[in-house]
Amino acid sequence: MTDHHDRSAPPEVAAMQAAWDDAHDFDPRDPLVGLSRAEMSGPQISRRGVLRLMAAAGTLTAAHLLPAGPARAQGKAGGTLKCGWAGVGQITTLDPARMNQVLQFQITSNVLSGLTHINADLIAEADLARDWELSADGTEYTFNLREGVTFHNGEPFTADDVLFTYERSKNPAVSIHSRALGNVKGIEKLGPHKVRFKLAGPQASFLVKTTERSSGRVLTILNKAAIDKLGEAAHGMMPVGTGPFRITQHTLGQSVVLEKFDRYYDPERPKLDRVQIQPILDAEPLAAAIEAGDIQLIGGGQIAPELIDRLVANKDLVVTAQASPGFESIWLNPHRDPFKVSSFDKPIAELMKEKGFMVRLAIAKALDRELFIKQAEFGRGTPAHGSINPAMAFYFDKELAKTSLQRFDLAEAKKLMAAAGYPDGKGFPRLKVLLTPPMRRQVEVVRAILKRNLGIEMEPVVKDIPVALDEFSTMEWDMVRIGSGGDYDPDDAIVDWMQTSSLFNGQKRDKAKYPFGYFSDKEADALIEQQRVEGNLEKRRDLVRKADRITSDKVASAFLYHPATILIHRKSVNFPDVSRIPALVDLDRTTLA
Amino acid sequence: MAGYLVRRILGALLVMWAVATLVFFMMRAVPGDPLAAMMFDSGDPAAAEDLRKALGMDVPLVEQYARWLWQLLHGNFGTSIYGSQAPVRQLLAEALPRTLSIAGLSFVVACIIAVPAGIVAAMRKNSPADNALTLVAFLGLSMPDFWFAILLIILFAANLQWLPAIGYSPLSEGFWPWFSHLIMPAIAAGTTFAAIIARMIRSSMIEVLKTDYLRTARSKGLLTWRILLVHALPNALIPVVTVMGIALALMLAGTVVVENVFAIKGLGRTLIEGILNRDYPVVQGAILAVSAIFIGSNLVVDLLYTVIDPRIRYS
Repeated sequence: MTDHHDRSAPPEVAAMQAAWDDAHDFDPRDPLVGLSRAEMSGPQISRRGVLRLMAAAGTLTAAHLLPAGPARAQGKAGGTLKCGWAGVGQITTLDPARMNQVLQFQITSNVLSGLTHINADLIAEADLARDWELSADGTEYTFNLREGVTFHNGEPFTADDVLFTYERSKNPAVSIHSRALGNVKGIEKLGPHKVRFKLAGPQASFLVKTTERSSGRVLTILNKAAIDKLGEAAHGMMPVGTGPFRITQHTLGQSVVLEKFDRYYDPERPKLDRVQIQPILDAEPLAAAIEAGDIQLIGGGQIAPELIDRLVANKDLVVTAQASPGFESIWLNPHRDPFKVSSFDKPIAELMKEKGFMVRLAIAKALDRELFIKQAEFGRGTPAHGSINPAMAFYFDKELAKTSLQRFDLAEAKKLMAAAGYPDGKGFPRLKVLLTPPMRRQVEVVRAILKRNLGIEMEPVVKDIPVALDEFSTMEWDMVRIGSGGDYDPDDAIVDWMQTSSLFNGQKRDKAKYPFGYFSDKEADALIEQQRVEGNLEKRRDLVRKADRITSDKVASAFLYHPATILIHRKSVNFPDVSRIPALVDLDRTTLA
Repeated sequence: MAGYLVRRILGALLVMWAVATLVFFMMRAVPGDPLAAMMFDSGDPAAAEDLRKALGMDVPLVEQYARWLWQLLHGNFGTSIYGSQAPVRQLLAEALPRTLSIAGLSFVVACIIAVPAGIVAAMRKNSPADNALTLVAFLGLSMPDFWFAILLIILFAANLQWLPAIGYSPLSEGFWPWFSHLIMPAIAAGTTFAAIIARMIRSSMIEVLKTDYLRTARSKGLLTWRILLVHALPNALIPVVTVMGIALALMLAGTVVVENVFAIKGLGRTLIEGILNRDYPVVQGAILAVSAIFIGSNLVVDLLYTVIDPRIRYS
């Protein structure tokens, strides 16, 4: 280690300098960046390991090394926190097997547990697992389970509950997420508090995507006795778990009430006695409710961007933004003119000879993403050029914004349109854009940008969510405005969206009419498959970035932006940084002043 | 009278059956698969088919209809197919007290504003007071209720902080929590109807005030308040009660905008959520409830005629 510390510097600065040096003290050719396999194992990757991975990724800044600051609001245990859940009229289900919205697993993350739980850096930490071991070939995970854990109904947590949850979740008739267990060959009970998962092949995302308590949802641990007693429907509304809070009331469309679970495995948590969550569909009442103090914290869906500046100006409120784990796109149908592409399986130079590809690229290049974010999102968000989001700091490729073929270049976009036979948009057909009601503002902004930049017209077609999702699956559209949320692991983005066999890639299409979905590229498929099983983080990161770059350059979609998660609470609420997991609202450490 | 009532009730049941049948088939004709959003994350068409089978949606439509009607005849409205799988009866039982509270209080607000305003406008026909009240009534009519509701929230909740901005508290938790949560929704929903009722009272009273028997009453030297409230108003009420009946039914079934703004899940919002999610059993149950409210309120209005005007007799 080099030693060039300033001996006269205060101890905090010297400590930061030492941490900085240590984080960068590795051989760049070493795939494990100087860390041992033990340091990469559970129950938690060390702070040193995290800093080193960030340094390797080029995302480490001085801010990450700052010592913890003084507590903001002096919180004390107890009290009731009243929350408003934005943009939702009712929480239709809290059954992990049926949930498909981030705003649902924001609640269950406070109630249910997994074997692991991600931290604010999106790294898996032990939850119901005490620790785990990975076999040398990367196909067996052996978990030692936490002992003395109790479900909210008084039942003790054992290996049988893990087996029960696995059996329940792998049944596609019960769980819409059963596919996430596709790589799990089986599970073995090794003792009352020990289980082993056997995988068909190594899976890099296993701890973040499969065993994680919120994003995974296939191994969010449930109790058989509770489901048998309550029945599936009632249990779906008020699931029984081992989390820091238990649900004591759920009135559909009115409120979900959580109460402190006194027998939670960590006696220090939760701090609050009670949490009351109220779904609030409309934006203005939500803002008024927090201004008036009727609610003290906003969770749930995206807060109407036009209201945020008003809330920032309110001195009684704390408004903070962080990168959200997701991407938003405009999808262009490659089977229809003017976006028609015979096949993506060819070099870019070959693709550039196809008019359909020229138009796709022209649209992607004409999207002034900075302007879009300013006008549609009031300046909050990050321009997107790929599906890997900035919340996945280790995997996110900042260079893509500078090097992607999709980067904003109006002159080049116009040239491409002219070459495709549409100079200044002349002769370009009026295209329909499928969208859901919440996307209206965004599509209007995109429409204005493309009209001004390329002279092309778009016709927004607003459809209810069930209709829009169904049509998206069938590929019966020209363009669609849709995106992904809750992407904590690269698999959530590239496996679920960018492979030929991806979950969302035209799953209900007429395969005779549309041989592939919205995108299909053999090289990207292979890279995505390789990264999925790659155990070495550095190597995996490179594969992820390569795949992301291909999908970006070949315009799998016109990537638009990565949203920001905005957390708003009153100053009386102390929401610690450690709880700031992107897109989640973990309240176990929250206190009230 | 008893025969009349039996005929009306039988007629009402027939209308409700017709409405339910129409809704059953129309909902299924509307584009959108209720399982599409639920199963979007699944990526397993077989699982979607299994669920369709489990929900009995794989059999021919006529068979589904027959099953549903048979359940209905046994008092079973079915269960929600989207998410909660809660019994529709339970969803309606939770929503109705909230809607009844909003509608009841809105109706009171509407009457408190409309009756004096209508009487004063009729008494002072074409005076500045009448013109001012007419202007206010038109303002009330032309103001969108969601906009007025938001103004109320900004003023009384966000700025003055006198009232809670959103939510509902049942009467069982005390009168003030219940009332404080409902007064703004009631004003927002009631104002439009107040304007309509006030206009109706005005025109009806003007007609009645021209009649000979009231001229006689005035010439006998009866007090003005007695002439108005005892002799004129009851005779002007027939058309007013008709409008009030329709207004009350509309409030019971159509406070959806106000329910949305104040985050209260009443009957209207239950229906809208059901439609958006293509949750057929919920929509069918909610529409049946709405049609029962309309038919019931019409029947009550018809019966009220006999109380207001004893000359009216049904046979």
